[in-house]
Amino acid sequence: MKFKIDALTRVEGEGALEVYLRNGKPEGLKLSIYEPPRLIEGILKGKPYNVIPDITARICGICPIAYQMSGVQATENAFDIKIPKEIEEIRRLMYFGEWIQSHALHVFFLHLPDFFGVPSILELAKIDKELLLAGMEIKRAGSLIVQMLGGRTSHPVSLIAGGFSSLPESLSGLMEPLELALEKSLWAIEKLKGLKFPDFELKGIVFVSLWEEDYPILKGKIDIQGQKIDASSFKDVFEEFEVPYSTAKHAKLKDGRTYLVGPLARFNNAFEKLSPLAKKISVDMGLEPPVNNPYKSLLVRMVENIHSLDRALEIVKGYKKPEKASIQVKPKRSTGFGVSEAPRGILWHRYTFDEKGTILEADIVPPTSQNQPAMELSLWSFLEKQKEISESWLQEHAEPMIRNFDPCISCATHFLKVKIKSV
Amino acid sequence: MKIGVFKFSSCDGCQLAFFDLEEELLKLSEIFSVEYFLEATSSNRWSSFDIAFVEGSVSSPEEEEKIKKIRESSRVLIAIGACAVSGGIQSARNFQDFSRVYSSVYQQHYDLNPLSRPLSDFVKVDYEIRGCPINKESLKEVITALLYGRLPQLPMHPLCLECKRKGNPCVVVAYRTPCLGPITVAGCGALCPTFKRGCYGCYGPVENPSLEALAEGYERLEMDKKRLREALKVSFNGYNKNIREWL
Repeated sequence: MKFKIDALTRVEGEGALEVYLRNGKPEGLKLSIYEPPRLIEGILKGKPYNVIPDITARICGICPIAYQMSGVQATENAFDIKIPKEIEEIRRLMYFGEWIQSHALHVFFLHLPDFFGVPSILELAKIDKELLLAGMEIKRAGSLIVQMLGGRTSHPVSLIAGGFSSLPESLSGLMEPLELALEKSLWAIEKLKGLKFPDFELKGIVFVSLWEEDYPILKGKIDIQGQKIDASSFKDVFEEFEVPYSTAKHAKLKDGRTYLVGPLARFNNAFEKLSPLAKKISVDMGLEPPVNNPYKSLLVRMVENIHSLDRALEIVKGYKKPEKASIQVKPKRSTGFGVSEAPRGILWHRYTFDEKGTILEADIVPPTSQNQPAMELSLWSFLEKQKEISESWLQEHAEPMIRNFDPCISCATHFLKVKIKSV
Repeated sequence: MKIGVFKFSSCDGCQLAFFDLEEELLKLSEIFSVEYFLEATSSNRWSSFDIAFVEGSVSSPEEEEKIKKIRESSRVLIAIGACAVSGGIQSARNFQDFSRVYSSVYQQHYDLNPLSRPLSDFVKVDYEIRGCPINKESLKEVITALLYGRLPQLPMHPLCLECKRKGNPCVVVAYRTPCLGPITVAGCGALCPTFKRGCYGCYGPVENPSLEALAEGYERLEMDKKRLREALKVSFNGYNKNIREWL
């Protein structure tokens, strides 16, 4: 059978699910993302290094900071630049801002309607407006961080190789909104833990996250459930490949194992490093690693937000404007690697530059392409258990299953057009 | 009033402005009926729309068909953001060798147009909301204006005015940094100069951008025309009708 796609870049976007049935039994499935590719890596070639944060941000409007952060860190790695700890701490704060707004958006705006059996927040508002408003309050706090450090909530402008183009005199205006958001998060999670989470366990999937001193977000080694490798070895261990039915590339471990990145992976690999408050909340509700139920990723995102708010407050309290916002960058002919934890999981960049800092080659592996095989595997074991599959059953059950993985936003709500094919 | 929100080739960032409206979005939904908005709801109907908001550029044969279909079904069509208005960052490839750009990312064939183009290359666009991404204030202004039956009032003056009003030192004068502010529409709050860098043009050009004059300005900074051309190509709006011919 021929399958035509007019499809995507490596950004998460609109997609489709096709299920093949023989005598009513599933025989195969395909998760395809069909947005037209935007060829960002190709566009970068021949451009100066300083366009990396502005251009790669546009791969994703929901997690632009992740792209900027992996991008500037790869550049700094190439040019042998060490970023002072105080600047890195501010970068962490900005990144927490992105996690908070992205997680709040997914939990409250996109994921939650599934648990209430409604199509969107517009209907959800009629059932539990207070909960939704709390979600908005939390999201706003994340946005405020990003706005204060980068000018606007999406595609901020201040991150550059070497540090920031400019930094604010004070961050004290963030204290109150962050405290309020933390309070609302603690209140909301009490409610959310009582939701009905369908029984389902991920099986045979390796959890991959970063490993650093802190709960992973900014940088570090890649932790493959205990095995730790450098960012520069990424392509030795992981394989990115094209599939005919999707413009988003897929990825697997070279030994053939399927892996998952994102909140569940971070939580399972680095639980001990959560802030004491986030850890306590988690333990109190019986949420401890290994969490293998993807529906519970909703709670894990909330725990990560509590951690983010907690840590963000700590950084804001200790903030003193550094004497210099950035350190001098001197290009040289070399290759650099950068990896950080986007809200949806590890995001890897590699660039090769000439002596003037012109980009010769660019390679970017976003989290959603890494997660596609795990999503397909989960869907497969989910479908296998079902005796009879109808189109309405798929729409009702397969879509929420996919949303558990938060395959970047455009999709996260309704990227699924369900089709059934009889073989 | 029936509205639809549509996505073409883009990053999704402009649609987020709807979510940024937060509680106001809930209030608006009492006046509007959201008929089609894949990112926000699982209940989507393709009907006729009083207002269609379209994010993204047209970059595949399928998208060409889709934008025409939306135009036919909509009373008012609004382009939101640099991709829809000018072709977006992906239109930087319009100035490169397409097959080389393509083959450095993919081996397999996908149906993709060599050019990433603005909506207005295919259909009549009634209003533009500028920015990469747009901001919620502009979105609110346009929605309110349409509700009251008046013309939306969005800034059309150059960024320099906004920057001066903010009291920023001019980055060109103070740091000899090149800046696209003189030919770029205001509305972002002169963000980049506020953060001590030159404007990179994401709100797109003013109506008659004086590109030759700007090129002269670049020369005074000892930068040639080529440098300005390169900056415009990655301005997210390089393929705007008011720029592309000059490039």
